[in-house]
Amino acid sequence: MERKSSFDIIIVGGGIAGMTSAIYAARANRKAVIVERHVCGGLVNSTYTVENFPSYISVNGMKLMEKVHEQVLHLGVQVEQVAEIEELDLKNLMKTVRTDESDYTAPVVILATGCDPVRLPHLDTCEQVHYCSICDGPAYKGKEVIVVGGGNSGFDETLYLLSLGVEKVTVVELLDKCIADKSTQKEVTRHDNVTIHTQTQIKDVGIEKGKLKTASLENTYTGEITKIPVDGIFVFIGQRPNTELFSDAVTLTDQGYIKTDRDMQTNLPGVFAAGDVIEKRYRQIPTAMSDGAVAALSAGTYLRKNDHKG
Amino acid sequence: MKTIDLTEKNFDRETADKDGILLFYKTICPFCKILEAVIEKFHKKNPDVNLFKVEFEEQKTLSQKLEVERAPTLFVIKKGRVAAKKAGVMNLKELTALWEQN
Repeated sequence: MERKSSFDIIIVGGGIAGMTSAIYAARANRKAVIVERHVCGGLVNSTYTVENFPSYISVNGMKLMEKVHEQVLHLGVQVEQVAEIEELDLKNLMKTVRTDESDYTAPVVILATGCDPVRLPHLDTCEQVHYCSICDGPAYKGKEVIVVGGGNSGFDETLYLLSLGVEKVTVVELLDKCIADKSTQKEVTRHDNVTIHTQTQIKDVGIEKGKLKTASLENTYTGEITKIPVDGIFVFIGQRPNTELFSDAVTLTDQGYIKTDRDMQTNLPGVFAAGDVIEKRYRQIPTAMSDGAVAALSAGTYLRKNDHKG
Repeated sequence: MKTIDLTEKNFDRETADKDGILLFYKTICPFCKILEAVIEKFHKKNPDVNLFKVEFEEQKTLSQKLEVERAPTLFVIKKGRVAAKKAGVMNLKELTALWEQN
């Protein structure tokens, strides 16, 4: 172990919820650290265009998160990125977050670990199955792809792939209808090189010399199977909360989201939670920011009540 | 962290006889950003390793020459030659193993 450091607040996760908590903590003169397993920005980093964030008509998600990250650093928050968290001790008065390099201790932890995309395990060995069109889309210019998922992400990413010059997109949705916003669906269906299959799933794929060649689509209503040529598959079928590290200590819902009260307090004293990882109806950038602000303010109240400085 | 930007013109000269990590990246690419942070951490522990970067979309000829199909793609360079290649993101342990095993 290289070092041990003490803080007022440890924020686990550097997405927009965690970074907002950090801003509020720093402005309240609390010594805060963000411990992030990847890089700050969370899922917003993978959103090419953000158009529902008050202040910008349209902004790239990663650029927006870089601005927030700058603000966090400017306020003096310590940020540890690509930190491999090995253990979380949340039950004691002083909490500990142990990473591959350091031990962080604090009386308060804010859990803002977010969600990860749900994967298609039966396609995991195929190298042409992707979960980020910004990252992997350009390789498919002039080629044919399948987009799995008829929600907003699936349709937004379809538009992005079309803008890259992808020749043909087949959207595959398991439900009997697509649930993306009507306006986005309308924009997508304007393109004559997009085909939409509902009540459909990818049954199997054909791979030759390591390259994806075909996909067998199964109509789950009729059982009919159609084989189509395809070069790449992009999957956008929702997210799963990242709670493995603390699922034995923190009360979760049946779906695995953290239960909090309206002050973002979990079942454990001094442990708060914010953002996509908590149980709630809407998961948006502004709602995550709101959670992050409330969690940090509640953490401040907790620290004052429990005689931790300030 | 000193990183040398490579192009088709300076590639051979800059990498000749050197040991290093070469990253093909894109500016707007979340996984590239993660891998850049991993490389930064790796470099803190291995400061003698040279770091090279290639902008995947700007340096198309170089990308084709090294058969890079996506960003991020990382190469381990030993004595100026490609010793290993891996596409996609990896963590510090995986990068360290890739470096040590090749």
